[in-house]
Amino acid sequence: MRSLRTRLLVGMISGMALLLIIFGLFVYTAMARALREQFDASLTATARTLAAAPELEEGEFELELDERLMVEFQPSERPDYFQFWLGDGTVLARSPSLGERYELPCFAGPIEAPVHRPVELPNGRQGRAVGIEYRPSIEDGGRTAEQAAVRLVVGRDAGELAAELRLLRLLLLSGGFAAVMVALLVGGLVVRQGLRPLSLLASRIAAIREDDLTERVQGDPLPTEMLPVVGRLNQLLGRLESAFERERLFTRDVAHQLRTPVAGMRSSMEVALSRSRRPDEYRESLSDCLAIAKRMQTMVEDLLMLARLEAGQAVAASERVVLTQLVDSCWRPFEPTAAERHVAFENRVAPDVSTIADHGILSMVLSNLLANASEYTNEGGSIWVCARFASGSVEMAVSNTGCHLSADEVCHVFDSFWRADPSRTDTDLHCGLGLALVQRGVSALGGTATTSLTGDDVFTVRLTLPAGG
Amino acid sequence: MRVLLIEDYLPLQKSVAKGLREAGFAVDVTGDGADGLWYAAGEDYDAIILDLMLPGMDGLTLLGRLRTQGSNTPVLILTAKDALSDRVQGLNLGADDYLAKPFAFEELLARLRALVRRKYAQKNPRIEVADLLIDTASKRAWRGGRELHLTAREYELLAYLAMRAGETVSRADIWKHLYEFNSEVTSNVVDVYIGYLRKKIERPGAPTLIQTVRGLGYALRTED
Repeated sequence: MRSLRTRLLVGMISGMALLLIIFGLFVYTAMARALREQFDASLTATARTLAAAPELEEGEFELELDERLMVEFQPSERPDYFQFWLGDGTVLARSPSLGERYELPCFAGPIEAPVHRPVELPNGRQGRAVGIEYRPSIEDGGRTAEQAAVRLVVGRDAGELAAELRLLRLLLLSGGFAAVMVALLVGGLVVRQGLRPLSLLASRIAAIREDDLTERVQGDPLPTEMLPVVGRLNQLLGRLESAFERERLFTRDVAHQLRTPVAGMRSSMEVALSRSRRPDEYRESLSDCLAIAKRMQTMVEDLLMLARLEAGQAVAASERVVLTQLVDSCWRPFEPTAAERHVAFENRVAPDVSTIADHGILSMVLSNLLANASEYTNEGGSIWVCARFASGSVEMAVSNTGCHLSADEVCHVFDSFWRADPSRTDTDLHCGLGLALVQRGVSALGGTATTSLTGDDVFTVRLTLPAGG
Repeated sequence: MRVLLIEDYLPLQKSVAKGLREAGFAVDVTGDGADGLWYAAGEDYDAIILDLMLPGMDGLTLLGRLRTQGSNTPVLILTAKDALSDRVQGLNLGADDYLAKPFAFEELLARLRALVRRKYAQKNPRIEVADLLIDTASKRAWRGGRELHLTAREYELLAYLAMRAGETVSRADIWKHLYEFNSEVTSNVVDVYIGYLRKKIERPGAPTLIQTVRGLGYALRTED
């Protein structure tokens, strides 16, 4: 059941039907009982009248029945029936309506508590009967004497009672059905009316265009139950808007960063092709273009890495990494330039400090940090790396001297394409993505990266990584 | 024509300078904003090509300082920033043209020539002096309907004289507009080139066009 309307309607109608069934059963049972009691009471009254009929005269029972009373017991379409028994089981008297062969069942209770029972009547109909046992009074010279007991069973056709009960059932069923139908109709209208704000919300959401995410869903005439939905939706829109804005700025920055090398390559080739030249001149232009292409390749690879880290696709494997070894291997490529610039390097990481992480990402992070440090350390300055265990994590710090950034500028170092000196973007191999990669890489490993600047121009990047067991 | 190229991305600086020199321009090059301002203030360039993001001093500051110092040298901004606000800001600060990277080198040349023509109040790319015709767009020249076969240097000398046709142009001016800052030529090279040019232009029977103004320099005009 995907439709909310159907679900609400079905729930409502089933609840109502169940209620009607219980109510109907209760009413039916109570009414049937009352009707049956009424029927039985009238039967008992007849039996009590009949009970006065037997009289004992000279040791023999004799029935003295009123003619008018006997009319009921003559054979007809729906007569009443009676039968008397003496204490020894001999039949004393029978109503003419019983005919020759039929016998009423013999059962009885005391006259003050008669027994009622359904019986089958001679014509095959269903009826009810009452049985009483009593001692008829004997009038003998004004004296009442105890006599033998007599049993009387009076039966009557219960067809009318059954018909009344049938009518009651029919009334209850049809009434219930009509009530369900009306409820279905009214409920349908109410549910449709109740769900109208949903369509209103849908049309408001549909009105938000993907090119203008500054718009928000208005919650004004919507019911209070829907306001949390509108609120969450607006929060989502807000997050989307800022994500799109970030994306837009990033794309603009990427395009911007690619313009200069593309311009260099294009003008190199256009100038080279503008006239015929000696092979060595072509060779020079080609090697210029190759250098530019390499720079662009680095940038594209960095961008791809950044995208992969942001999408959470980069973490491939976790293995134990001994940090002091990793620091040494990552530093190796920067050794020659550092030596040229008399920059001292010190690996202060103890041999037992290790972490469980993706080796590739961790070495990318460290290489970028060391590249950054070796690029910005002053001539004759120094770079050092420390690491230690600290309550379930590993803290690592890469520091270098000769930092000329202000405290304000230090806050921006993790931004993509941010350079303290914007013109540097055009001149060196890296393009301001290194520290952005560090931060994304560390967060992909489940850690954090922070920067600090101390008074003596020492710039430090601190990494907190999970120790990994 | 002598131009100053201020661009810090070395591959671009190198190729643009090479292309401009091959097109006959004398080019001074620097990759630093502060140096650029010093060059621009010290020399009378025919045009300046200016990048915006520069070490030392950014391009817009440089342009602002240059204009406050009273320089009218045409400036062409060449930059990766091509947002409308950047262009408007550049032009408002006194730039004469704006070209976004990456660009077609031919377009840079054409815009540069247009700037130079404007400097000498020459809107028409074809300059006529008597029966001498110079087309600065195609860099060709004709005398009496016959095309002159000039080297790039000779053409630049002729074009410079033609831009200032009628005026007397000093040897120092010619030298400054045809040779780069660090070129190792002496000023008498101007006389040598004037000699070459005369041989190609002047014809017996036709009026002399390159006049020597004694003690002052040369002028491109018919004799009074």
